Amino acid sequence: MTAVIAASNLSKWYGNVLGLNDVSLEIEEGITGLLGPNGAGKSTFMKLITGQMKPAIGSVTVRGRKAWNDPGVYQGIGFCPEQDVFYEDVTGWEFVTGLLRFYGYSRTEIRERAARALDVVDLTADKDRLIRGYSRGMRQRVKFAQAVAHDPDILILDEPLSGLDPLGKRKLIKLIKDFKRQGRTVLVSSHVLPEIEALTSRVVLIHQGKILAQGDIPFIRELIEAHPHQISVRSSDPRALAARFVGDKSIQKMTFGADGRTLVVETHKRDAFFSRLTGVVLEAGIAVEEISSPDDNLQAVFEYLVGK
Amino acid sequence: MTGVSAVRQVFGFFSFLGRKTGKTRAFAILGLIPVALAVVVRIVLHGRSGLMAAVFTEILMVFFLQFYIVILALFYGTSVTAEEVENRTLSYLITRPIPKPAIVLGKSAAYAVLMFAMVGVSLALSYFIMNAARLSDPDLYATFFRYLGVLGLGVLAYTAFFTFLGAVLKRAIIVGMVFGFGWENVIQYFPGSTQKLSIVHYLKSLLPYHPPSVGGGGGGRGVALLLFRLEPTAPLAAILILAVVTAGFLALACWVFRMKEYLYEE
Amino acid sequence: MATVREKGYTHWDGKLGERRFPWWPITRTGILLAFRKKRFKFIFAGAFIPSIVFLVGLYISERLDDFKAIIQGSDRLLNIDPKYFATYLTGDWLFFLIVLVLAYGAGGLIADDLKHNSLQLYFSRPLGKKDYLIGKMSVIAFFVLILTALPGLLLVVFKLVFAGSFKFFLQYPWLPLSVLGFSALLTVFFAFYVLLLSALSKNSRYVFVLTFGTYIFSTVLYGILNGIFRTPYMALFSIPANLRQAGAFIFGQKLPFAFPAVWSFAVLAGICVLAAAVLNRKIRSVEVIK
Repeated sequence: MTAVIAASNLSKWYGNVLGLNDVSLEIEEGITGLLGPNGAGKSTFMKLITGQMKPAIGSVTVRGRKAWNDPGVYQGIGFCPEQDVFYEDVTGWEFVTGLLRFYGYSRTEIRERAARALDVVDLTADKDRLIRGYSRGMRQRVKFAQAVAHDPDILILDEPLSGLDPLGKRKLIKLIKDFKRQGRTVLVSSHVLPEIEALTSRVVLIHQGKILAQGDIPFIRELIEAHPHQISVRSSDPRALAARFVGDKSIQKMTFGADGRTLVVETHKRDAFFSRLTGVVLEAGIAVEEISSPDDNLQAVFEYLVGK
Repeated sequence: MTGVSAVRQVFGFFSFLGRKTGKTRAFAILGLIPVALAVVVRIVLHGRSGLMAAVFTEILMVFFLQFYIVILALFYGTSVTAEEVENRTLSYLITRPIPKPAIVLGKSAAYAVLMFAMVGVSLALSYFIMNAARLSDPDLYATFFRYLGVLGLGVLAYTAFFTFLGAVLKRAIIVGMVFGFGWENVIQYFPGSTQKLSIVHYLKSLLPYHPPSVGGGGGGRGVALLLFRLEPTAPLAAILILAVVTAGFLALACWVFRMKEYLYEE
Repeated sequence: MATVREKGYTHWDGKLGERRFPWWPITRTGILLAFRKKRFKFIFAGAFIPSIVFLVGLYISERLDDFKAIIQGSDRLLNIDPKYFATYLTGDWLFFLIVLVLAYGAGGLIADDLKHNSLQLYFSRPLGKKDYLIGKMSVIAFFVLILTALPGLLLVVFKLVFAGSFKFFLQYPWLPLSVLGFSALLTVFFAFYVLLLSALSKNSRYVFVLTFGTYIFSTVLYGILNGIFRTPYMALFSIPANLRQAGAFIFGQKLPFAFPAVWSFAVLAGICVLAAAVLNRKIRSVEVIK
C-alpha cells in the first residue's frame, strides 16, 4: 500500500522544548490511531501534517505534497482541531456553510453539502441555534461536520472524542468507521486508550515527541520479546492446574486471582503454553471456564513501552 | 480556488461575521456621537451657518480624523490576524484551499468596508445636519465627498498599517495605540519634513480647505486645531503616498502571514 | 453505607476553616499574572521614569519662542510647595501611564474570567461576589498606589531629608494626607473604571482598546464641546480634567476649571456607581445563554 502521509526525520522545536523528535513514519489508507499522553506530540504532529506549522528538520507530505504553504493540498484534507473554539455568535448552519465557501462550490452545492454534513452528525434539528448554546457533544459534532462537509479523502481528527458522553462517543466512532469503509484515510489522535482500541487496531504510539511503536496492537505486543505475556485461566481447580505447570521452565510466574478460581501465568512462550495447556486440561479433567490475555491490549503495551 | 475568488469568499465570510458582532454595534454607536453633537449644535447655533461650517470643519473633523478612524482601524486592523490567533480559529482558515494572503486581503477588505460604512453614515448625518440650511448649494456636496474621500483613504491606510502590525507582533494593540494616539498626535506638529512621517499629515493635506498662511488658522479666524502647524503636501502626492502606504503595508502583512507560524498560547 | 477506601481516599470529616481575607488569593494571583507578561515589566518600570528630557530639549530648541515664558518663570518652577506635589500627581502624563499600566496589566482581570468561564470556579469556592470584586480591585489598587501614594509620600520624605529639618512639614502638615487622599481617589476611580470595561467583553484586546479609547475620547469630546460651546463645564466630559479638578481641590490649589470641584467629584462618583451596577449584573456564577 502506498503511504498517504509520510514523515521523514521530522522534528519540531518550540523554543528550547522539543515537540517532535526525529519522527519517520508512513500512514496508509484506513484508520490509524495516534496514541500518547498529553504533551506527547500528537497535536504537533497533526499540525505539521496539516501545514499549520513548518518542520524545523525533515519533511512531511500528504499524497506526495508538502502541506506548508500549499493550499491545494487542503482540497482533500478535513481537519478537526482539538480546541473547543468557534467564531462568535454563529449558528451551526452558518459555521459549516461559511467554511464551505472556501472550496469554490456554488451556493446550492454549499447548502446541500452543509445539510448532508449536519445530518450525518445529527445536528439538523439544531442547525439554526447559536453554537454557544450547544452542549459540549454538539459542539464536537459540528466541528466534525465542518471537517467532512467537503468530502475529503483524508480526515485528521485531533481528540475528536474528547468531552463526549458514551452515546456521543459511540455515534462518532461509528461515523469514523463509516468513513473508513468509504475508502478514506483517517488519522485520529487520543490519549484515551480504549477509544483508540474501539476505532482501530492500527496504532502509532508516541511519547515525549518520539514514536515508540507503530503497527497492529497484537503485532506490537509480539515484538515486545522481553516482556512476558500474561495469560489468565479460570477453571474449577486452579491449584491443580498450577501444580501441573510448576516444573515448566518457560513459566516466569504464577499467581492466583482473588476469586479463587483464576490462575494467572506469565510466560515468554505463549504458544508453547497454550499447546501444553490443552493437554494438561484433558489429562487432569479440569473444567476450564475462560482463557484470556489481560495484557494483550494497548494499555499494557503502552505502559510497558513508556516504562511506567 | 484562485486568488481573486478566494479573496472574494473571505471578504464575504468576514463581512457577514463582522456585521454580527457586538463590537461593531458598539463602534457604530460611537459614530453617533458626532451626529448627536451636530443636532445639539444646530439647535444652539441656529441660523449661523458660517459658524456651523467652521464648527464642523475645525472641530468635528478632529473627532473623525484623529480619533474615530484611528480607533476603528486599530481594533479591526490588528484583529485581522490577532483575533484568529487569540480565539484559536486560525486553524479553520489555514486548513482551507485558499492562499494565505487571500485571508489577510479578504478580511482586511471586509473590515475596511465595515469601517467605511460606519464612518460614512456618521459623517453624512452630522455633516448634513450641521449644513441643513445649505442643502441647495452644490459646493456642499463636493466638500462632503472630499471629506468622505479623505476619511476613506485614512481608513485604508491605517487599516493596512495596523494589519501589518497585527501580523508581525503579538501585542500589536499596544504598539498600535502608541503609534495612533502618540506618534500621530505629536509628530504632525514637528517642523519641516518630520511631520511627513505620519499618515495624518497626508490626510490633512487633502482636506478641502487650507490656512491662509503656514501656522495660521483655517476656515477663518479662531482656533485651527486641525491645521495647526500643517505644512501641506500637494494633494496628488498625498494621495499617491497614501496609496503606496496602503499597498505596501498590505503586501508586507500578506508576506509575513504567509511565512510566519502562529502558535496558540497554552 | 459503602465507603471508598481504595487508593487511600477517605472522606474528610473536618471543619472548613474561614480565611480572614478570602479575596487575597485573587489579588495575589492577579498581580503575579500581570508581572508574568513580558512587556508589562517594562511598561511598569517606564511608568516610574519621567518624560524623556533630551527629546524635549530638541523640541524646545525648535520652538524657543513658545518656551520663553516658562524659562522666564524658572524660579517659580523650582519653588517646592503643595502645588509642586499637586502638579506631579495631577499631571496628564501620570494619568496616561496609569491607564497604560492598567489597560495592559489589569484589562483582562474580568474579561479573561468571562472568556474561560472561570466565574463558576470562583463561586464554587467559599467566595462571594463582594470578595471576588475586592480581590480584583486590590490588584488595581496595588498598581495605582505604587505609582501615586508611594512616590508622592517618598517625595515628601526626601524633601524633609534634603532640607535637614521638619520646617516644610510644619508648614504643610496636611500635605501627606492630601497625597494619600488623592491617591485613594485615583485608586477607587480607576478600579471601578477598569473593571467596568473589563466586564464588558471577553476579549482582552478589545478591553485594552476600550480602556484607552474611552480615556482619550473623553478628552477629544471635551475639546470638541469646548470649541463649540466655549464653557469650562465641558471639562466635565473629560476624565483627566475631572481628576485634575478633584486633585487641585484636595491639594488646596487654584482649580484649573471655573466651576465648583463638587461637579467633578459627582462625575467621578457617577462613573463608579455605573460601574458597580454593571459589575453586579455581569458577575454571575451561572451564565445564561439565550
